[in-house]
Amino acid sequence: MSADASRLGGVRTLQRAVVADRARWLAETLGIVAIAGALLLAFSLTSSQFLLAENVRNIFVQISVVGVAAIGETLVMLAGGLDLSVGSVVLLSEVISADLTATHHLAWPVALLAALGAAGGIGLLNGVLVAVVGIEPILATLGTLLVAAGLGQRILGLRYLQVTNPVFNDLAVKNVIFNLPIMVAVMLALYAVVAFAVRTTPFGRMIYAVGGNRRAARLSGLSLVGVTIAVFVIAGILSGVAGFLNVAQTGLVSQNDGMGMEFQAIIAALVGGLSVTAGGVGRVERTLLGALIVGMMTNYQTIKGIDPSFQQAFLGGLLVAAILADRLLRGRQ
Amino acid sequence: MTADVPLLRITGMTKRFPGTLALDDVDLVVERGTIHGLVGENGAGKSTLLKILAGDYQPTAGRIELDGEEVHVSTPRRAHELGIGIVYQELSLLTNLSVAHNISLGSEPTNGLAIDERSLVDSARRVLDRMGVAVDPEQKVGKIPLAERQLVEIAKVLTLRRPRVLIFDEPTAALGQADVDRLFRIVEALRDEGVAIIFVSHRYREVLRVCDRATVLRNGRVVAEVACADTSVEHLVELTLGEKVAAAFHRDWRSDVAGEPVLELSGLEVGARVRGVDLSVRRGEIVSVCGLLGSGQNQLARAVAGDAPDVTGTLRVKGAAAVPRSPRQALRLGIALITENRQEEGLFPDMPVRSNISISSLGRVLVSRVLRLIDPRRERRLAAEVAAATGIAQAALRRRVRVLSGGNQQKSLLARWLMRRADVLVLIEPTRGVDVGAKLEIYRELEELARRGAGVLVVSTDILEVMALSDRVAVLCQGRVARVFDPRHATEQDILLAMQGAPTRAEVTA
Repeated sequence: MSADASRLGGVRTLQRAVVADRARWLAETLGIVAIAGALLLAFSLTSSQFLLAENVRNIFVQISVVGVAAIGETLVMLAGGLDLSVGSVVLLSEVISADLTATHHLAWPVALLAALGAAGGIGLLNGVLVAVVGIEPILATLGTLLVAAGLGQRILGLRYLQVTNPVFNDLAVKNVIFNLPIMVAVMLALYAVVAFAVRTTPFGRMIYAVGGNRRAARLSGLSLVGVTIAVFVIAGILSGVAGFLNVAQTGLVSQNDGMGMEFQAIIAALVGGLSVTAGGVGRVERTLLGALIVGMMTNYQTIKGIDPSFQQAFLGGLLVAAILADRLLRGRQ
Repeated sequence: MTADVPLLRITGMTKRFPGTLALDDVDLVVERGTIHGLVGENGAGKSTLLKILAGDYQPTAGRIELDGEEVHVSTPRRAHELGIGIVYQELSLLTNLSVAHNISLGSEPTNGLAIDERSLVDSARRVLDRMGVAVDPEQKVGKIPLAERQLVEIAKVLTLRRPRVLIFDEPTAALGQADVDRLFRIVEALRDEGVAIIFVSHRYREVLRVCDRATVLRNGRVVAEVACADTSVEHLVELTLGEKVAAAFHRDWRSDVAGEPVLELSGLEVGARVRGVDLSVRRGEIVSVCGLLGSGQNQLARAVAGDAPDVTGTLRVKGAAAVPRSPRQALRLGIALITENRQEEGLFPDMPVRSNISISSLGRVLVSRVLRLIDPRRERRLAAEVAAATGIAQAALRRRVRVLSGGNQQKSLLARWLMRRADVLVLIEPTRGVDVGAKLEIYRELEELARRGAGVLVVSTDILEVMALSDRVAVLCQGRVARVFDPRHATEQDILLAMQGAPTRAEVTA
């Protein structure tokens, strides 16, 4: 009899928990969409230029590079890590793609493959340092940040490199969907592919498992080393793609390219609802919303003529705010 | 401060946690210059009471008097000031600091600016000398043996300005006999100095040997207070057990034919804790391993599942010899593990129950061998099947496992290994933190797993659980199998006595 009573109590508790769970999920998902919507409304009401087709196009072009890099950062964070080498890998990839096409006159697919190879190599190094050697992700990738930046600057020398290959111009200028150029389409396609893969492949499941509870993942028979290395390699390659797109956007490569991009990627992921302290929670597609929110804010500040150095300080503030919000939300559990 | 006022008097102590009453109106009196035993099964409320005295928990109700004066132990620091010291069973020493630094951690003597190293070492040496212990105070704690670390832990407590109440929480769990004797001499010397001592232990013979009186807790209540001189180990065992829910469980099914052995251990050693274990588990059989804390049973279980270092000896799974070196390897062999830490080592709290179940069987839910994508319908169907078999509500499958009760969480883990079709399931304390109703269901599930042909190896300190659940019970004592019982021909007392290392009247069956 007492067992029955306790079981009934259990069912009731479960029902309550299930309702709370559903409410939380709704709040999380709608929350980000609502913030994006509110900003959109506020910005378009206070600026006549904001919703012009040309400006919308600008926003998307501006976020496409960071947006692609943020996909990789999202995967790393989902697996419970952090990648600080993103910006340097972007630079390295830029330098290689520009140098091979402009200086060595190689075909762009060859240059792209070489750039992605180098970027994936840095990712592999990250993965091995974290998973095999056992260095904290934040420190391991701080090291490779310097390695990749040094390599990039060494190849570049002290010059600016102007690109000549028409593919870069096409990426940034040729419109494919609505009036959005190829590079934006590339970003959206990558989000679609990765979001789908994370949801439907065993590997995607494993990322969440490893990020959610490493000990449990190990005892469940998953390969921590395999998953961690794979995630860092993918993140490296995606940073490489971001670098290629960045060459397209600016048309030239300079020493400071990519600098600080890891933070923009992290901010986008955090605004999209990921956590720096715990993996295993979040969605790839929400990072796109995060990038869009940050992009709209930056764009609005530019329209309003706000000093770029203030804009940078603003991003820093946003990073801290996102971390605080994360801590408040998760601290309650 | 008159002599007839007890040094420590606890009255009406009650502590309520969400969903459970850990302590229910507990009274405890400890006179100065006496050693008072505190015994009871895991979950009886001993730890809660200690944590209240240590200032880690605040009581829901109740009062603590020291020397007749009511005190409020609001923080661990306050406990320290009041002269209440605890020697914990899990050592809390910092291994990369010296013995002396550990002893005066948090109250290091200073010479105005920096720590005064000389007086630090001197005061440590004084305390150690007083205990009659020859440990070099300048040695790093990481470099001295476990038994001596225990002594350092005690020395740490003795630096209290005025120790009045000292609590030893299972201090002998990790010690050999000579070290136990030395520990008792120290404890008795402290008693003779007028300190009130609380001695918590599962080793009843030690309790009877060293304590003056003993209080028995069961389910958060005091069931008896006895004078140790007039009590036997058997009587303490009876008092501790009482009538419990596990006794209500009856096996419906037993493998009548002797199935093939699915797991065979011979001469298995794990570090220094497991020292040559021979044991086999047949298909359809539930074998329990029990022993006092620190007898090596957890290490044994983890070693079988590839989650322990330094494993030597022979381990055969389905006849093939292989000692798994990682949980991944163990799973390939067909051995799955559910540990006593569901939260830390089992569950993915933010993943849905369904994904928690399927995570180790993703190969079974793919669309096809070529298109290696998860087929959500297949996953739903298979997860629903094993959920039904383990008694998880279908509605729960979509929810994050975090929101489930302890019992349902445990069932999710059982379902995970049911889906994986594990040949050998190893469980450590399978019903710890699980409510009464769910406990019986979990026993039922384990029986069902055995019926489906798995070999089940259970490590448990709950004797009645072991009795009700198992086909055979292996009792470990100091890293070796001391006895093997058929629970149908043995009593709880037999097993408890065997755990204590005492001779029993029950027949020994191999």
